Amino acid sequence: MAETSLISRGTVVRGNVRGSGALEIQGRVEGDVTVTGDVLLGEAGAIRGNVSGESLTILGQVQGDLRGTEAVLVERGAKVAGDLSAPKIGIATGALVRGLVRTDGEPALAAGRRGAVTGQAMRSGGSFQKSPARAEAPKPAAVEPDSEPPPAKEERKPPPPVVPALSRGTRAKKKKSREQE
Amino acid sequence: MARHNLESSVLGPTTRLTGRVSGDGALRVEGSIKGDLSVSGEADIADGGSVEGNLNAAALEVSGSLLGDANVQGPIAVRSGAVVRGELRGSEVSIEPGSRISVRLETEFELDLGGPARRR
Amino acid sequence: MAGTVIGEGLTIEGDVTSEEEVVIHGNLRGKLTTSDAVTVGSTGVVTADITGSSLSVAGQVTGDVTASERIDVQPGGKLVGDIKASRFTIADGASFKGNVDMEI
Repeated sequence: MAETSLISRGTVVRGNVRGSGALEIQGRVEGDVTVTGDVLLGEAGAIRGNVSGESLTILGQVQGDLRGTEAVLVERGAKVAGDLSAPKIGIATGALVRGLVRTDGEPALAAGRRGAVTGQAMRSGGSFQKSPARAEAPKPAAVEPDSEPPPAKEERKPPPPVVPALSRGTRAKKKKSREQE
Repeated sequence: MARHNLESSVLGPTTRLTGRVSGDGALRVEGSIKGDLSVSGEADIADGGSVEGNLNAAALEVSGSLLGDANVQGPIAVRSGAVVRGELRGSEVSIEPGSRISVRLETEFELDLGGPARRR
Repeated sequence: MAGTVIGEGLTIEGDVTSEEEVVIHGNLRGKLTTSDAVTVGSTGVVTADITGSSLSVAGQVTGDVTASERIDVQPGGKLVGDIKASRFTIADGASFKGNVDMEI
């Protein structure tokens, strides 16, 4: 069983972070974080990139998407600009989140409403673009409740297997690089 | 509810409305509304209650289901067991684990990811 | 306590169906159907056909009313429309205009 890894305060990682086990981040990561275990992002921690793991607990700041195979919990004081998905999602009072938030099994929002805010758009700049569709006039309902759930498009979001697959890939890569040495 | 009796409204559990609700005061929805809802006070969609339409209110609490967009001046609280689909705009949005949601959150804030120092 | 209360200042436009008492202090335009009693308070303004077990009007109602039990127009109340009920009272100071059918 892998132990908890720690990226401590004052440490900056530029590049992707992958591995098995849990990860605690008190410093800064500029890249994607993909682990098989839980992720804890501390108050002073920051991530610019996508994060996936089993259960994600966020107290710091994230610009990127959060995917938990078990849960995503955004705690008081945290700031997240990105999409959240997990079977269980919690956003505490005092946490700030901007993006799409979807628990597993729920249909995606109607297609026409997406697009204005993609992960890319968010990553490309600090200021957040407002969708042109956001007029003050009343709009039609967000969803058609009677309509069939998600267009296949949305299902591209990786289901759980992605993590083990990635971690296998990680080991393979490591071995490979060792062999090359 | 501490408000004056005449000012607060309740749609009871067996009450179904197809149409529009607007006006002053708070509204608690225990039944169902198909249509837009706009009140100057707090809207509370109780457990078992449902709103299918867009919603405007001073504050919002959802324990039942909301299918539609919410534009709220104050906070939005989504309770465990709630079902919410749509876009949520509020001064802040809290979501309890155990709710079923597919929402877009439009909260305004600045991130400080500790990049190159910004001059103020 | 009443199951459904439309407070003063609230306006509902549309169809309302219910199986509980409905009390209206605000405005209702459309249609109201309940198996229980309907009360229109003094500030209530209803422009709707109403079906209920009974109706008490202290405010204003414009529309046809069918009550399985009774209809009472209270002092200061105003009811304009055709009504059907086995019992019907109009208080002193109330007003009513319409046809009455008491053969239910």
